[in-house]
Amino acid sequence: MIRTPQMLQKQEWLAFLFHRHNAHLASFHTFSNYCRIWIISIVILAVTSLSPLVMATFINQRLIQQAVDSELILQTERVTSNAKRSMRFFLEERLNALRFIVNELPYYSLIDNVHLAEILSNLKLGFGGFTDLSIIDADGSQVAYAGPFNLEGKNYKTQPWFTKSIESDNFISEVFTGYRDVPHIIIAVRSINALGRLFILRATLDTQRLMDTLLSYKTNVHTDIFLMNDTGVLQTPSSTYGKIFTPTRLDIPKFSTTTNVILPENENEYTFITGYSYIITEAVTTPFILLVNKEKSVVMGTWLNLGRTFNWIISISCLVMMIIITLVSTFMVNKLYLADKTKAETMMKMEQSQQLACIGQLSAGIAHEINNPLALINETAGYLKDLYHFTDEQQNDEEVMENLDAILEAVSRCGTITSQLLGFVRQFDVQISNVDVEKLITGILRFHKKETEYKGIHVTTDIAPDIPAIETDRGKLQQILLNLINNAFQAIEANGCLDITVSHHPPGQITMEIKDTGCGIPEENLKRIHEPFFSTKKEKMGTGLGLSITYGLVKKLQGNIRVESSEGVGTIFTVTLPVKMKKEDKV
Amino acid sequence: MKIILVDDEKKFINMLAKRLSLRGLNADVAYSGEEAVEKAAQTPYDLAVLDLKMPGISGFALKRKLLEMHPKIKLIFVTGHGAIENNGNHDHSDDIFLAKPLNIDTLIETIHQTIHPDKQ
Repeated sequence: MIRTPQMLQKQEWLAFLFHRHNAHLASFHTFSNYCRIWIISIVILAVTSLSPLVMATFINQRLIQQAVDSELILQTERVTSNAKRSMRFFLEERLNALRFIVNELPYYSLIDNVHLAEILSNLKLGFGGFTDLSIIDADGSQVAYAGPFNLEGKNYKTQPWFTKSIESDNFISEVFTGYRDVPHIIIAVRSINALGRLFILRATLDTQRLMDTLLSYKTNVHTDIFLMNDTGVLQTPSSTYGKIFTPTRLDIPKFSTTTNVILPENENEYTFITGYSYIITEAVTTPFILLVNKEKSVVMGTWLNLGRTFNWIISISCLVMMIIITLVSTFMVNKLYLADKTKAETMMKMEQSQQLACIGQLSAGIAHEINNPLALINETAGYLKDLYHFTDEQQNDEEVMENLDAILEAVSRCGTITSQLLGFVRQFDVQISNVDVEKLITGILRFHKKETEYKGIHVTTDIAPDIPAIETDRGKLQQILLNLINNAFQAIEANGCLDITVSHHPPGQITMEIKDTGCGIPEENLKRIHEPFFSTKKEKMGTGLGLSITYGLVKKLQGNIRVESSEGVGTIFTVTLPVKMKKEDKV
Repeated sequence: MKIILVDDEKKFINMLAKRLSLRGLNADVAYSGEEAVEKAAQTPYDLAVLDLKMPGISGFALKRKLLEMHPKIKLIFVTGHGAIENNGNHDHSDDIFLAKPLNIDTLIETIHQTIHPDKQ
């Protein structure tokens, strides 16, 4: 039973990672793979604590997305609707003005160029945006003209706008360049003169005024407002598609009288959203489609910033949680490991000591049984020797005497062995009583009195007067002292010294020193003297159990044993024992 | 000086008695506790050498009975159970224990010491 101070657990951090598989200990461990437990615990903790966080983030992202989308749709719808209304108003207002003129003024005054110029200047004053005015008869000939271009006498019979405008009461053309090579819009009203012939009052609107009106709804660079016709050709410049008259190649949106928003197919990856509306006046359907493109990034800006901040916070807290989880798991698993290791070691020690106890019981049984026949052999051989010795017969037969001595010697050796075996078993249970150390030592020395005299050994005892009666196991203490004193006697040559000192220190303990001037113990053997069955006296009568038993007994009595030795000078065994033994849990 | 040897090992105790008588110590022999009590009733012994473990009356029980009969009787215990025995229930700190197998010289010396302790 070897107990070393190294068995005190080193509370190493991460000890379980450096766990070495020990076949003897493995069967006592509750768990086998601590790295796996560690990883599982980290994973479980991480999943349970981080998943709500991740889910919250995901939901938050979705909410932001939805908020952005609805905000964008709303804004686009509003801009489109407002722009459409003002477009409609712009065209309607001018169309109605023309209607008012043809209804109010007689035909003859209309075809008067001077008067027409006057009307034009009044229109410019009142509404603005008019470039010129002209009266065209049913044949397509321009009857009267007022304006900056020299277009008098032109015939429009072949122009597509003319054919359309002669067919309906009101007409609004798309933007085109015509004879004058400047983009313009024609609005025309049809009427009947006094002769019952159809004529047309045509006005040209410059597109600049229209564009200005449109652009007033463009709140920032990320919004694109433009008109296109029903074949997808731009009617005003667009920041997305380019100059006027550029074909956009857009799908023509479904006809609708209300404002609509085209939602992109892929909700996550679109960059802008389009609102559109057909511009329909009360009197006539115009060829214009109003389109508003609004870039997502603008609206997203604030939301994206918010989302980014949120993500940062989430990431940092995830990181912190992971660190904490890892640290906590490591700590717990390490504690678990250390506890398990201690348990396994304790169980192994228990098993060892139980095995040892079993062996001890067995040896003691055998020793006890052998002692009686041994005693008989001893007495019989002794008696034979006595017969020769006391009756003088064959007294000189040295061979017989030698053989008898050999028997007696062998019996004595057997006796030592059995007594040590019996001592071996006795270390397993402790019975506490009051023990007078001085009396005990005197008693033991009495056994050795004869040997002392025979070898001429000088024995001194120095027992401090204040030594109290100590509470300990008498038998075990006796055995300890007996073993140590026996050892000393075996080491001491003739005329040596044996000093036994007992002192009452440190507080609560007594210290016993057994000092001999014997042969000493070589340094390489010093470490091994407490090992069972280690003996340098094999040829004599050592079993190698004496000091091992002593060591175990001292530990059993909650004491300590120390040895100092130098070869040829002597050995000091120092035993410290508590004055009062604590009740210990029985193993 | 009257001595009684008590042990259930008949051959052992006879042999011991013979060896003691060769050395001038005449001892009576009893093979059991009961026999020892009977003999003690007739003879006032000065010393008893007792085996600890015997069928019937044990060594310690015999000690008490002998002390009742002869309060001044001295006792030496012989045991096959190791060098020194203390079974804890009694205070035997004054008793002398010797281990089997016995050394005849140690026994004789112990006997002399026990009977004449003042001679030391």
